Amino acid sequence: MLGLLLLAPPAGAAMSRGFNRMLEAVVRIDVREIEFDNGAKRFTGGIGSGVIISDDGLVLTNAHVVNPQAVEISVTLANLERVGATLVGWDHWTDLALLRLDTAALRARGLGFSAAGFGDSSDLYAGETVFAVGTPHGLTRTVTRGIISNTNRYFEDSGGVDGHETGAFNTWLQTDAAINPGNSGGPLVTEDGKVVGINSRAYIGAENLGFAIPANVARKVAAALVRDGTITRSYIGLVPGVLQDLERFYALASNTGMLINRVDPGSPAARAGLRAGDVLLTLDGRKVDGRFPEQLPPIQQAIASLPVGAKVALEVKRGTQTVAFIVQTEKLESRVGEEWAFEKWGLSVRKVTRAYARENQLLDDSGVIVLGAQPGYPAAEAGLARGDIITKVGNAPIAELAKLKQVYAAFAAKPEPQLVEAQRNRRISLYVIKP
Amino acid sequence: MRYILRLFLPAVLAALPAAAATVPELFTERLKSVVAVEFFVQTEIERQPVTVMGTVIDNQGTIILPAAAILPGIPPAQLKDFKVYRPGSTEPANAEYLGPDPFTGWHYLRVEAKLRPGLVPITQYAPISGDPALSDEVWGIGLRNRDEDFMPYFLSARVALVIKLPQKTAILGSDVASPGLPVFNAAGQFAGLAQSSFGQNFLLFSRNQHATPILLINVEESSIVLLADEVLPNLGRVPSSVTGRPIPWFGAYGLQPMDPEVAKLLKLENQSGVVLSDIMDGSPAAAAGLKERDIVLAVDGQPLPRLKPDRVVVGHFGQQILRHRPGESLVLTILRGSERQEISVRLGDEPKLAREAERVYLERLGFTVREFLYGDGIMHRAKPGEQAGVMVQFVKPGSPVATAGLRADDWVREIDGEEIKTYAQALAKLRAIEADEKRPEFVLLVSRGGETAVLRIKLI
Repeated sequence: MLGLLLLAPPAGAAMSRGFNRMLEAVVRIDVREIEFDNGAKRFTGGIGSGVIISDDGLVLTNAHVVNPQAVEISVTLANLERVGATLVGWDHWTDLALLRLDTAALRARGLGFSAAGFGDSSDLYAGETVFAVGTPHGLTRTVTRGIISNTNRYFEDSGGVDGHETGAFNTWLQTDAAINPGNSGGPLVTEDGKVVGINSRAYIGAENLGFAIPANVARKVAAALVRDGTITRSYIGLVPGVLQDLERFYALASNTGMLINRVDPGSPAARAGLRAGDVLLTLDGRKVDGRFPEQLPPIQQAIASLPVGAKVALEVKRGTQTVAFIVQTEKLESRVGEEWAFEKWGLSVRKVTRAYARENQLLDDSGVIVLGAQPGYPAAEAGLARGDIITKVGNAPIAELAKLKQVYAAFAAKPEPQLVEAQRNRRISLYVIKP
Repeated sequence: MRYILRLFLPAVLAALPAAAATVPELFTERLKSVVAVEFFVQTEIERQPVTVMGTVIDNQGTIILPAAAILPGIPPAQLKDFKVYRPGSTEPANAEYLGPDPFTGWHYLRVEAKLRPGLVPITQYAPISGDPALSDEVWGIGLRNRDEDFMPYFLSARVALVIKLPQKTAILGSDVASPGLPVFNAAGQFAGLAQSSFGQNFLLFSRNQHATPILLINVEESSIVLLADEVLPNLGRVPSSVTGRPIPWFGAYGLQPMDPEVAKLLKLENQSGVVLSDIMDGSPAAAAGLKERDIVLAVDGQPLPRLKPDRVVVGHFGQQILRHRPGESLVLTILRGSERQEISVRLGDEPKLAREAERVYLERLGFTVREFLYGDGIMHRAKPGEQAGVMVQFVKPGSPVATAGLRADDWVREIDGEEIKTYAQALAKLRAIEADEKRPEFVLLVSRGGETAVLRIKLI
């Protein structure tokens, strides 16, 4: 009897050994990163959370905590020791980033750490008790308690991770455990200390509506980031919509179909002839069921996980007809391109990407977008402003960011007035940047 | 003796002309050239009253109203019940709307015969000769609103600046007249017409917020006067149709001014240019071989002047076009890359405008459907061949379509899964849906800002 009691202490008396071990794996992350917002290169800082997931020092956190613009990542371990870390890779679509602790430094200082284990997030049920661990508002190692409020929440945001798209390929765990700014990247765990999610966002101003990336998604993303440093996805250009109870209207068999709400202009799907208003019935012969929002991410993921350049067979319902299409996938790109600052001009820019060009109905993806022009500096004096798309400087068409860097280098070496051509809402204007 | 005096008196007055009349006398006399105009804009669910001021221009009772009096998209059929009042009078006279003039933007009215004998056209008074000089004093007429019987009042101000915007305009030190009403000098000579006022920057201080910048626009009085030289030659442009046609068409989009720094870099000092951002498919500009990025430097050999602010040169270029009639040609000198070229453009007829488009309000469904126009194609970047579907002109709040999320300016591509090719087809389908009282719902596929959405509209 006594032995049994020792093995299973009464609830509330103490947390499980697994839970305590997991606490040792939760870290605070301080990041310094570059920002190109106002025509200059500036450093900003942020605080987030993370969880060590392997004995070789891999730390899982959010993409909105650490992104490739981070220049200094500092991790505070449970034993209050600070150590540097590097970014292994990030994936804004799932809001995940993977860091590696500076293990050489740890060894040199004779420091150890522990790693947390994953639980199976598909076993979670609504009402199950969970805990969020992290650094809300800088309060290191805060544990809050709640329940799983929903296991399958759809939440897509086209600019949710520092302006990058997120949420198209996964659903989220919803919890009422208190999640505040700074919790981001910390684990959502069960009573036995298993990581079932990575806390990432909450409704500000709402009561206890927090969201976490399911562990089963995080494990796969982490594995791919370790292997390749990046996640490659396929894209065909369909933007889905929910069919809901329009099944009867479209005369569909029950539990079938995903409404195509938009086809990106110029995308593979558009070139193949797909149109908004078509209803997708099958994908490579497999039936598609997208009647409700939470059913959309798996369908999107099915397309995204095809190899880039693969041919996929789509069957759609158009009016009373069923039409078959073959679409060749291309690589999924973010609409957020590379950013840079030209400091003597007081100009910060971002490359126009294919996705940005399609979204804004531009003819192609050449040019760079002005992110900011610092007042009083040559670019602002010339009249350039946020949102202008620079397409030409002097006689040189600016298709790539590299070309503008080249022009700038020439300017820096020998400052001379430059004629700049920029577009805004299809209006072409000319400006002169003077030294 | 009495008889002799009577015979003498008019002769003496004639020998001492305007100088003898005091400003109050002139003011009373000039009131015969101004009127208040009331009308209604009758939309689907509203009847919006509008009051504006107008100036009499001839003996046939023709009156001009400022361009801003009527928004450009409003179809003439929605303009109702024009009434004209003399200053200080409550007695209305009916008037007919003649249409807008595309060059000046003025709207023309003709008042019924009963009011005409009391009116004096502005052309009756001699105009001032030359431009008014800096600090010259001018005066004008303000009219109060209807609840004060359009009571006239006197305003005066001094000339602060004369500038081309692109037409010669005097800017005065303070407000001088109601917009649309004439302005005179001390001798009673016609100086010009008051325009809509410009905004003025102010700082707003309040208990909680310090110094918020705000822009104030006086809608009742103005200090901006279009000079008589620019007014008088254009008074004869009485529209021959209520839509303002004929309207010449050039067909370039996004005309952007060239700033002085750019002109200097391109070695075009003391002149300006207009960048053509986009050439519309099938337009006269396209037919003439103009290309996007061409910079227009001169029209019919006349270099585009350097005007301030830079933006004004675009207005100047627009006026050079609008001076012509469809079918006439003009020769543009353009800069393409580093090469100068002369290109002759034969102007066409402006494609159908929103105010001329066919439209029908479907009351039960709760929206107005309008035919798809060339201009809609430009806005939606559709190729000329892709111009199909219909536009949503108006959505009644709380109606079935509003509840389903339809909005004004949505582009309807399909109705009940059927692709819409023509306005007639769309109207037939929508009318059938509206007439069928047993029908529970219908479905629209609409485009909005490049995105497409399927809307399901519940009718029962």
